[in-house]
Amino acid sequence: MRILLDKFSKSFGTTKVIEDLTLEVADGEMLALLGPSGCGKSTTLFAICGIHKVTGGRILFGDRDVTDLPSQARSVGVVFQSYALYPHMTVAENIAFPLQVKKVAPDQIKREVDAIAALVHIENLLGRRPAELSGGQQQRVALARALVRKPDVLLLDEPLANLDAKLRLEMRSEIRRIQLETGITAILVTHDQVEAMSMCDRIAIMNAGEIVQLATPTEMYHNPRTAFVAGFLGNPPIAFLRGTAKDGGFALDNSDIRLPLPAGTLSPADGSKLTLGIRPEDFGPLGDIAIPGKIAFVETQGRENLYDVRLADGSMLRSIQPVRGDIAVGNEVAWSASGAKVMVFGEDGARL
Amino acid sequence: MNSSRSLGLMLLTPAIVLVVLFFLVPVALTAVFSFTNMSTATGITGGAYQIGPSSLQRLGDSYGFPELAERLSQPSYVIDERGLTALESAGVDASAITEMRTHLGEVFPTRREAERMIKGLDARPSTREVKQISEQFNRSLLDTRYESEGDLLAGLDALGVEVTPAERDAVAASSYSGWTWTTDNFRRMVSTPDTLRTLINTVFYVAIVLVLFNTGYAMFLAITTYYMPETTGGIFRSIWLLPRITPPVIYVLMWKWLAWDTGFISMFLGQFGVAPKNWMLDSSTNAWVFVILINGFVGASMGMLVFSSALRAIPKSQFYASEVDGASRWQQIRYIILPQMRWPILFVTCYQTLSLLASFDLILLSTEGGPGGATEVWSLMTYHTALNNYAGNLEYGYGTALSLVLVVIGVTLSLIYLRVFNYNALVAKPLIEQ
Repeated sequence: MRILLDKFSKSFGTTKVIEDLTLEVADGEMLALLGPSGCGKSTTLFAICGIHKVTGGRILFGDRDVTDLPSQARSVGVVFQSYALYPHMTVAENIAFPLQVKKVAPDQIKREVDAIAALVHIENLLGRRPAELSGGQQQRVALARALVRKPDVLLLDEPLANLDAKLRLEMRSEIRRIQLETGITAILVTHDQVEAMSMCDRIAIMNAGEIVQLATPTEMYHNPRTAFVAGFLGNPPIAFLRGTAKDGGFALDNSDIRLPLPAGTLSPADGSKLTLGIRPEDFGPLGDIAIPGKIAFVETQGRENLYDVRLADGSMLRSIQPVRGDIAVGNEVAWSASGAKVMVFGEDGARL
Repeated sequence: MNSSRSLGLMLLTPAIVLVVLFFLVPVALTAVFSFTNMSTATGITGGAYQIGPSSLQRLGDSYGFPELAERLSQPSYVIDERGLTALESAGVDASAITEMRTHLGEVFPTRREAERMIKGLDARPSTREVKQISEQFNRSLLDTRYESEGDLLAGLDALGVEVTPAERDAVAASSYSGWTWTTDNFRRMVSTPDTLRTLINTVFYVAIVLVLFNTGYAMFLAITTYYMPETTGGIFRSIWLLPRITPPVIYVLMWKWLAWDTGFISMFLGQFGVAPKNWMLDSSTNAWVFVILINGFVGASMGMLVFSSALRAIPKSQFYASEVDGASRWQQIRYIILPQMRWPILFVTCYQTLSLLASFDLILLSTEGGPGGATEVWSLMTYHTALNNYAGNLEYGYGTALSLVLVVIGVTLSLIYLRVFNYNALVAKPLIEQ
């Protein structure tokens, strides 16, 4: 079911967290609300499920205005960061709870619980209590409980934050599989760009209560609208060079390094502040804009090495390359950036 | 290992000493005293043997020797050396004394017979002298104090009272004024109808206060203040703490002001033409209502605090989750809060059962067990028996026997509660990773 946030605002007391945020999530889509801590993404999620009352604007599920409905009447399933399983109930009772409070007949509850347990692969755990489950198992139970009454919307609040790295990888694909199988409209709140990129159809990246960019992961990665977005996506992260526009080119601050601006960039006025963004995979031996520097650090990642290259002005570029043995810390290198991939941002952080 | 064990023992010592001094010793003494008939009359040190009107009454009634009692109640006159010596110092005519000596060892069952003998003396004493002389030989057992049973029996023999061994024992037992070992306390407890009534009162009192106030109302307060805004809830909780922190005497006095015939209720109802009366002691139903309210309002505060903090320990996300799961406020309380309150409820129940069983201060101050014993509970009966009763004879022995019943009930309940707590709280299931 489509979700529409229409000029939605939320403030706590006098603190305005979100103002006039408009966002539409298409039916069956999985959307990530991505952003740093305190950007308002969880607040948005809690407003959608009705735990927080909105201060202004409307929330629509399909064509139904749910702005003033209590959470009980909204038909949302929520997976909380802490899972919020009821410790005194067994797994089966936990999953059955949303049906039980709706006074569904016991034999139907049992059928539905069994079906959803099969979907999330926890058939053998139904008799246990949450304290007897591992983190990943608790996660599946929370997912099952959120889905069992077939809500219009599934909301996931940092669902993977409490899992260890291996489980996180596994649950990422599991949640996506379950979302696709049920075809439910889902919103994932996360601060982890890898989760957002790997699980979701689209990402809404938030900062300070505003959506900075709303796009598919690929689009957002390759075509970020601002330096903030570019800096948030990608691992290892993008490196920024600060300088000024000079004669249609880029002059690195505190050095005599001059770089041409990539083709297609609107020529900024001379003297205006610029930031160049260069992703680690776009900087290396092959490229058309040579930038000399010195190796400051080599991070071994197994299949690849990550090289930190310090430039003359003290700023740092990163390069990721297949492992090679001929480079050591302290070596002077003259690697190049691929001009077509270099991103140019203006003084306000907007892409030029 | 060894030093850590001795260090542990050392750290435990103060606790052990306190437990022994303030729990084990009192319990043991209670058990010991409950098998005595100590009272104000007997004293708590030893006693003496003294035949008097009341001991003779007992001898006749309780021991079944009325004739013996009758016989002992009569004075007897024995001509002995002691009497003769007394005559000398009283300045009686020496010839009369010499003559009396010839009657040495004779026993006269009545004064008249003794005086007839004295009148027949050659010295011809005057009537006044006859009385003076006979008085010196009055050897009645009545009101003579003997330090030991042997002395008493010797006295009996000296009087020439012929007694069977059974009679002798009965005389000794009935005339003993000190305390004795006995199981009569328990027999009396079982046979007195008041005991059963007090027992029923106690069960009623503990059950009603516990269920209605110490847990029920406390839970109601905890839950309602939990759902209130933070400050409002805090204010309400503080108000409900007031009965607990007010000194009991003042607290009960305020209730009395409320209920007196010149108090608030009477004044208020007087507006509508209701005659003023003491509402608290007017009927046993009223007395119970007041006793339960007075104790309940004090008792609710502890449960409220325990339940409030237990409520706060439930993660907020569970409340959020149950709301989005569709649970109404009532379903949230019924399915999420109450099941997780089992241990706090059990704890408060245990603690308050024991404290309600043992405490009687508020009842003593308000109704004093009245009207007519309607609100007399076990601990108050113990107090009334052993420490403060109307007749003035404080029955320590019976009182401790009554309180021993409370000790037994208390210890039994504690053991049961400890068991219930331990088995589920300490034996947690292991975390299973798959």
